[in-house]
Amino acid sequence: MGTFLQLMIDGLSTGSIYAALALSIVLVHQATGLINFAQGGMAVLSAYIAWVIYGFGAPLIVAILAAVIISFFLGALIERYLVRRFERGDPDTAVVVTIGLLTLITGICAWFWTYNNQLFPSLFPLDTVQIAGAVISVRSLGTIVVIVAIMLLLQALFVGTKLGLALRAVAIDPSSAALSGIPVGRNLMIGWGLAASLGAIAGVLVAPQLTLTPGMMDSALVYALAAVILGGLTSPIGVVVAAWLIGILENLAAVYVPFIGHDLKIAVPFVLVFVVLLVRPQGLFGRKSVVRV
Amino acid sequence: MVAGIGIVAVLVAGCSRGGAEPDGDGGAAAASPGITDTTITLGMTTPLSGGTAGPGTCTVAGLKAYFGNVNAAGGIEFGDGKTRTVEIKALDDEYDPQKAKANYDQLKGSVFAMTAGLGTPTNRAWREAAIADEVPQVLIQTGDPLFSNKEESPWQLGFVPVYQNEGEAFGELLAGAGGEHKVAILSQNDDYGEGYVEGFKSAIEGADNIEIVKELTYEATDTSVDAQLTELAASGADVLFNAMSITPLVISSLQKVQEIGWLPSLFLPSNTSSPTAILEPGGAAALPAVYTVSFAKTPQSPAFAEDEDVVTFLSDLAEYADYPEAPAFPHCMWSYMIGATLEQVFTKMTEPTREDFMAQLRTISDFEAPLMLPGTSVDTTEDDQPAVSTVQVIKYNGKGYEAVESWDE
Repeated sequence: MGTFLQLMIDGLSTGSIYAALALSIVLVHQATGLINFAQGGMAVLSAYIAWVIYGFGAPLIVAILAAVIISFFLGALIERYLVRRFERGDPDTAVVVTIGLLTLITGICAWFWTYNNQLFPSLFPLDTVQIAGAVISVRSLGTIVVIVAIMLLLQALFVGTKLGLALRAVAIDPSSAALSGIPVGRNLMIGWGLAASLGAIAGVLVAPQLTLTPGMMDSALVYALAAVILGGLTSPIGVVVAAWLIGILENLAAVYVPFIGHDLKIAVPFVLVFVVLLVRPQGLFGRKSVVRV
Repeated sequence: MVAGIGIVAVLVAGCSRGGAEPDGDGGAAAASPGITDTTITLGMTTPLSGGTAGPGTCTVAGLKAYFGNVNAAGGIEFGDGKTRTVEIKALDDEYDPQKAKANYDQLKGSVFAMTAGLGTPTNRAWREAAIADEVPQVLIQTGDPLFSNKEESPWQLGFVPVYQNEGEAFGELLAGAGGEHKVAILSQNDDYGEGYVEGFKSAIEGADNIEIVKELTYEATDTSVDAQLTELAASGADVLFNAMSITPLVISSLQKVQEIGWLPSLFLPSNTSSPTAILEPGGAAALPAVYTVSFAKTPQSPAFAEDEDVVTFLSDLAEYADYPEAPAFPHCMWSYMIGATLEQVFTKMTEPTREDFMAQLRTISDFEAPLMLPGTSVDTTEDDQPAVSTVQVIKYNGKGYEAVESWDE
């Protein structure tokens, strides 16, 4: 029983990392209708920015907040001067552009900071708390709490605010949105900026555990994309739940299903994705996108 | 983009042909490519970007440091009486076998020998081509025994101990312990992990005080091994044999075992046991004991702070390799030793040919290269063994490592 609970909690905490990145992918998608493959790379760049500021002697929390703000502007600039040119065209082109951006940002990080693993301090202490025989680290707990808070904020942003409505309107139909007086370009920039800030938070949450390297987010990105598809592209709550499910199921399957084991467990989330997509193409929590003819 | 690549390829091909031509001067034995009367050029393909770039960068830095010092002193007097300086051409393969092969193809015409590159899959990718082309692929940094089998790999020789050597050394120490021990094993699901486990198991065979209670594996691409450690902790083992090659995973596994309150004695492979890069961030001081094996003096260890080898090594690194800090990876030290070993071979070469080089390469014995720990040495004369096959089990003391002779209960 103790082991079972521990595996659930381990899964929840790795799932939270996927969730953080998945949330920023959802945000960009909600705001611009694009899946941004560079989101992981941008998160790593933000974490490096925080690390550099921390290196100058700033307190960790200040460094992180500064990185979040700088990332907002970086994200907005990337949208304005790079992605904007491809948004109106073929969506496939835009996706390839974001993949190119991922490679570019990774290269830039490597050029500045090398591929050596850099230690990144954690916001949370290394202590642990006991819950019903399972041990949960304060760090995992902190990560989970931060993710839940961001998820609720995002949900509130999209559903309950004028900005959220405008962001969604711009993503769904830019020309109609423009006609009804919404500044489309500015909203696109804000969407990318917010996503980059969120990515920055994901980056600084993950960096203490994976140590800071330019490729830090690469495998997390794969899981985050699975969570996005599984949870539904339109639902922040959905992707977080999906990311947690992925983390937990992967662990349980590895330990309790003998033929899967730890070597095949990476396939578990993707089998899950296939099954869900066959039954519910919009994902577990997503809304069907309806196109009126 | 495609056109750009084409241009680069043409330029490179042009260069390599240019480099090979002046050698046909009709001497006694026609010189091999990459060697003139005043220089010898060595090639490397090694990861300089990607996840293994930290150690990979070290493989180049160590070699440049050693030969930088040698060149500054005028070069090496070869066995044929000519004094040559050493040039190094290093290309990045990102730990990608295909890139490694492409790098080899690019270098083979202009370098005398390929050396010191890091990585098992990457070195395997061009092993057969090197045999067919009769290009030396020697003193490479892989623990794969294939490269040290003279019959299968006539143009190859590994430098570092094979994985089995390391696993065996630890197994022997444990088998010689007085008390009973239960061992949990976590290993990488490839030749690397299997080699360690194989060596370990062969050493504890017949030792009835040692029982392996649980064995699990992980993939090199995994981001977390928490689930494995939770499962292993439930086995009640008091020793964890952790055959892992991924730096962040080792750090997080050190933290994880402490979080779940499982405090085993730990064995780590030589390339993932750096005190500053892994043990300190992982909080390893809280564990009862952390063992690894080594044949190199660690610059971080206070015991070697004043050591003459270490002082020269660090200043060479800073001066000739643009590597100002004390390296966190042992590969810097290993490459430095490779440089010293190559110098030994060069001084014995009476003909500027790859054949003579290979012949002389296999005659080095009992050579104590700089930075080697007492009790270890370079020996290239033993069949089926890499240039260094002796290791010393060492134990973490909270700062660096110290040698141990027996298991303390």
